[in-house]
Amino acid sequence: MKLSASGADLLAQLQTVSRVASTRSAVQALSGVQVSATASRVELRATDMEVSLRVPLTADVQREGTVVLPARLLLDVARSLPRSADSVSLELRPEQQDVEVVAGHAKFHLRTLRAEDFPPLPEPGGDTVVTVPAGAFVDTIATVAKSASRDETRPILTGILVSASGQELRMVATDSYRLSVKETVLESPLEGGFEANVPARALEELRSVVGSTGAETIRIGVRANQVVFEVGGAVLSSRLIDGQFPNYRQLLPEQFEHELRIAGDELGDVVKRISLMAQKNAPLRLSFGDGELTVSAQTPDVGEASEPLPVPFAGEPFEIGFNPDFLRDGLDSIGAGDLLLKLISPLRPGLIQSADDGGFTYLIMPIRLNV
Amino acid sequence: MRLIVARCEVRYSGRLDALLPEALRLIMVKSDGSVMVHADTGGYKPQNWMTPPTVIEEAEGLLVVRKRAGATEDRLDIRIAEVLSDVEHDMGEAAALEKDGVEAHLQELLAEQPHWCGEGFRLVRREWPTDIGPVDLMCRDDEDGWIAVEIKRVATIEAVEQLCRYLERLREDPAMAEVRGVLAAQSIKPQARVLAESRGLRCVEVDLAVLRGEREPELTLFA
Repeated sequence: MKLSASGADLLAQLQTVSRVASTRSAVQALSGVQVSATASRVELRATDMEVSLRVPLTADVQREGTVVLPARLLLDVARSLPRSADSVSLELRPEQQDVEVVAGHAKFHLRTLRAEDFPPLPEPGGDTVVTVPAGAFVDTIATVAKSASRDETRPILTGILVSASGQELRMVATDSYRLSVKETVLESPLEGGFEANVPARALEELRSVVGSTGAETIRIGVRANQVVFEVGGAVLSSRLIDGQFPNYRQLLPEQFEHELRIAGDELGDVVKRISLMAQKNAPLRLSFGDGELTVSAQTPDVGEASEPLPVPFAGEPFEIGFNPDFLRDGLDSIGAGDLLLKLISPLRPGLIQSADDGGFTYLIMPIRLNV
Repeated sequence: MRLIVARCEVRYSGRLDALLPEALRLIMVKSDGSVMVHADTGGYKPQNWMTPPTVIEEAEGLLVVRKRAGATEDRLDIRIAEVLSDVEHDMGEAAALEKDGVEAHLQELLAEQPHWCGEGFRLVRREWPTDIGPVDLMCRDDEDGWIAVEIKRVATIEAVEQLCRYLERLREDPAMAEVRGVLAAQSIKPQARVLAESRGLRCVEVDLAVLRGEREPELTLFA
């Protein structure tokens, strides 16, 4: 294999693809990037056996071939290449079992990894194939992704339930402490549809790929246990998560004691400010009184803070505590504009929705307050 | 406890054969029938050992330790060429290792509050006997179904296999043919959870501080 490419292109594509390379596998090849050069196309590929990514590289191919190189090392080398060099060449030296990387006067020899240990990656397509607008898809991911769990001991909750059919795209994520539901109305109806629990990590990676490719559409192929996203020449695939995702509709309370319309920006600012004093797992305290909400926090040996803001509250005063980060996440996802804050009691979940029916619902469980 | 420092050859026979050639070693014989053969090097592990129940026979220059292992017999023949020291000590009641979060403590707390293992659970018995060892808790639920609960501090794949073995033995009794299994632990390894769920076992992570009443359980949208 021998090819030459622009240093900037190589670096950009390596930065994208090497995020997917494994950092923990016993199989060394999975920590590598596969460089595949044919007359018509050069591709960089990486996988950790759960998520895989193939990105194109614009390059001149002098000799076809495939090689696997350590991802982290190759990325560091690409990053360090002299800016004055017009291009960088990669040439496999089979007898030395390395690849010579030359840019300007700089020359590197990187030992190759075992190519036979690098698995074949999924091809695009699937039992069901749907094309969705990229912007709407990644915006929806961004709205709900923070609510997905990071706890691998409950794998089902580490995914985002993605449903696409007709003119509706819906994503749901929950870690059992909060639940985010975003329903996006698409401009045109989809041909086909699917529902799948996709690892949040894979969808976050998809966001990055869409960002770097600037693609306008995503072609999604769904198989029994796998999903493949084609985005502007890149192909991202991921296993799907088995098991029953929580029935979020059953979790949404039907009735609330209090429903308040509040300026989202204003509440968000106060929460962000006062949360500085909610450290070491201290809750954020929301105290509702006649026409007023006081947001306060206290951490022993650190300090305390409070700030009132006017809200249309009437009735018996009550207090409810929330995890400050979780509350902020919900408010951030609402964004600008008014929101509806719906509450029942200090031990029942609260609901935050955009007042303009922006299709976002955030259910958040409170924290017990020590009286 | 009997401690013998002797020049000896140790031959193990049974499911496999092993020979320790003659050398100076420590032979430890405990009151429960455990026998261990230690060298002066090689770390904390004995070079050979037999766990109870054992039958120990002694003759001139020979110590034989036998144990039934299913249809076969495991046997340790210790040929003693020279005794340098042979002492016996009455150790009295052993003091158990004290450790916070130890399984016995977890078992006590879960026996008092079996609902943490599953909704509606009531305790039938602690240390429910089977012919391969006791199950930590045997419970019944609202529908009078049987549930065997295995309790660990940290649940690994071995714990899952252990519970599966217990369930296999329990289900041989027609009255308990439908007994279910629950693995309760302070923490459950991800691989153990995957294996447990694939075998139809339920996993429950328990918080010791919550069990002790030192902290209220966290509120969640769902279990």
